[in-house]
Amino acid sequence: MKYDVCIIGSGAGGAPIAYELSNAGFHVVVLEKGNHYREEDFSKDELAVSRRDMFTPLLKEEQHIINERNKDGSITRYEGSEYDWSFWNGSMVGGSSNLMSGFFHRMKPNDFRLKSVYGEIKGANVVDWPISYEDLEPYYAKVEKIIGVSGVVTKHKFAEPRSSLEFPYPALEVNGVTKWFDASCKILGFESIHTPRAILSQGALGRSGCSYSNFCGSYGCATGAKGSASAALLQKCKAKIVPEAFVYKLQSDATKIISAHYYDKDLKSHAIEARIFVVAAQAIESSRLLLNSKNKYFPNGIANNNGQVGKNLIFSAGGVGEGRFHFDSLTKTQQEELMQPGLFLNRSLQDWYEYKDADKSYKGGTIDFLFEHANIISRAKREFYDANGNIMWGTALQKKIHKTLTTSRVLTFEVFNDWLPTDYCNVSVDKKLQDKYGVPVGVINLYGHPHDLKVGSFLAEKAKKVLENMGAKEISASISASPPPNLVAGGCRFANDARNSVLDVNCKAHELDNLYVTDASFMPTGGSVPYTWTIYANSFRVADHIVKKL
Amino acid sequence: MFLTSRRTFLKKSFLTSAVLVMSGGKLFGAVSPLQTIELVQQDLFPSTSNVPTTNDINAYAYLVTILHHSRVSDSHKAFIRNGVQWLNEESIKMYKKTYMQLLSQERQNVLKNIAKYRWGENWIDTILTYIFEAMLGDPIYGGNKNQAGWKWLHHKGGNPRPTKALV
Repeated sequence: MKYDVCIIGSGAGGAPIAYELSNAGFHVVVLEKGNHYREEDFSKDELAVSRRDMFTPLLKEEQHIINERNKDGSITRYEGSEYDWSFWNGSMVGGSSNLMSGFFHRMKPNDFRLKSVYGEIKGANVVDWPISYEDLEPYYAKVEKIIGVSGVVTKHKFAEPRSSLEFPYPALEVNGVTKWFDASCKILGFESIHTPRAILSQGALGRSGCSYSNFCGSYGCATGAKGSASAALLQKCKAKIVPEAFVYKLQSDATKIISAHYYDKDLKSHAIEARIFVVAAQAIESSRLLLNSKNKYFPNGIANNNGQVGKNLIFSAGGVGEGRFHFDSLTKTQQEELMQPGLFLNRSLQDWYEYKDADKSYKGGTIDFLFEHANIISRAKREFYDANGNIMWGTALQKKIHKTLTTSRVLTFEVFNDWLPTDYCNVSVDKKLQDKYGVPVGVINLYGHPHDLKVGSFLAEKAKKVLENMGAKEISASISASPPPNLVAGGCRFANDARNSVLDVNCKAHELDNLYVTDASFMPTGGSVPYTWTIYANSFRVADHIVKKL
Repeated sequence: MFLTSRRTFLKKSFLTSAVLVMSGGKLFGAVSPLQTIELVQQDLFPSTSNVPTTNDINAYAYLVTILHHSRVSDSHKAFIRNGVQWLNEESIKMYKKTYMQLLSQERQNVLKNIAKYRWGENWIDTILTYIFEAMLGDPIYGGNKNQAGWKWLHHKGGNPRPTKALV
């Protein structure tokens, strides 16, 4: 059978296409490399989920090569399996959206015109997007309703324009510490923002509300409250889903894709024919698939006759920080508020989305505040070492762990700022190393622009001031060029100029009539927010275009 | 097939075969890796009032599960075994006895000595990690009996709990 649409990857980039096209009456098939889990399969098993990484491939079977660029320009090569360095996220139906925390921020209007507003930065390939915030706003609004975004709209200096006054779903309950946070921000003159979440606070959309399990990020949601691509979209449409289907090659002629070829779990090869193909395998793997799909029309890989596939890979720059609240400086009531499990802090700062430092204007970013993850094994493990960095054991360790975990709690923050695209950060495929399917593995060439660290450090200092004012101790931050594997974009830029991009304004490959890429690969710059809301919104936008085309 | 055979071989050899310990280039003796690790577990996490013991949390049985685990790499399993050999070599160097033949304080001295080496620190960290995994993982894995570990640290496990262990 020939499908109308074949989608490769079932996460936030692929699922909106499946949802819209199948609900419009088209025959849609989704090929997903991972397993098909449903709500009833998800539990809060720290050993399986966080210690044994059950939702990602074994590195000895599937891995990446990571080339790190050193200061002197030399390259250090790491084989992922040897160094236990994984760039996999959620290999499962719904992709990593199953495991997100659902901190949802829209990009700001100026994020779409970074070059025009802030100018060029030496060594970075900054460009404007070919669409504006106004083009994407209706789709951000659509995501709020269909995926389910809960919260309270906060008016602040950098609040983006909205077509609706409020979020469609009421805010989640918050922890007592949230009011400490708000009070400190008021003293400091910072604007505390209620963080919008892709989590339903009460039953809606045929899904249950949040159960406040205390184990959200990294875990699948057993109630369906989290707006994963699976719970919110794939379970609400008739698209055919084929799990455990690893697509290793796209076959094409000079102008169109003819078939997608995949291996099933028994390594048996199958082919799917369709009128339109949509690649959304998450940024690194989407570029890898195109680069590995070579033929006489595309000797350097599908859609890559201009050599742009894999270029300008970006991550979210920034880092993390934290402070610890100890019982001995708190009242009994405050101690109880601090230790309330399950409830969220749900606060962010965007006061410095743009800022001036020494009379120079900078594009800044977002700071999200949240409690340290509830995972008890990892919290115990971080106590293994004393203040001098020596490993401890015996009763001394027992006492330290008991005191720390029962009479204190850590509040953390995450900084999100632009990872500037450069010539040195990109995806290629390895000439020798292959995965368990016999397919060349992806190579991630890493480089972080020094500007990213400067901005990230500026933001982290602001976050530390809040923790300090709240009375936290042991305040620290770690801003580095280490790439967060779950916040990756770029590699198949969209632009009007076909010479320096892979996709056109509708995310269709310039060189082919029926190939679209709709995960975060299309993003030329990433904004200073987590990507998921924008990926969903853009995919809904492209879905509208494909419906019209079909 | 090759991987399966290799995994089976590793599993059997780890559980049944002794570790040969050398001293001054000569064979000193043979020790049981699992019995040694069981004793190390007790030395690293001693019985203390109001704290679950390694017996309470089935730390030994849990480690055996890890050594069979489909998602723990063969190289990591080999590191655990190699650590037993190196621990005993340090013990012989210090006291002319294998680790299991030492008195409690002597064993602590050996642990303090190996903690100065990078491998030793990593090995102790590894053994401790699996003690805490046994104590604080979901009880479905056989450790953390009656949620003793969670109760000790006033922790409430998340719901829903797993109905099947991933091994």
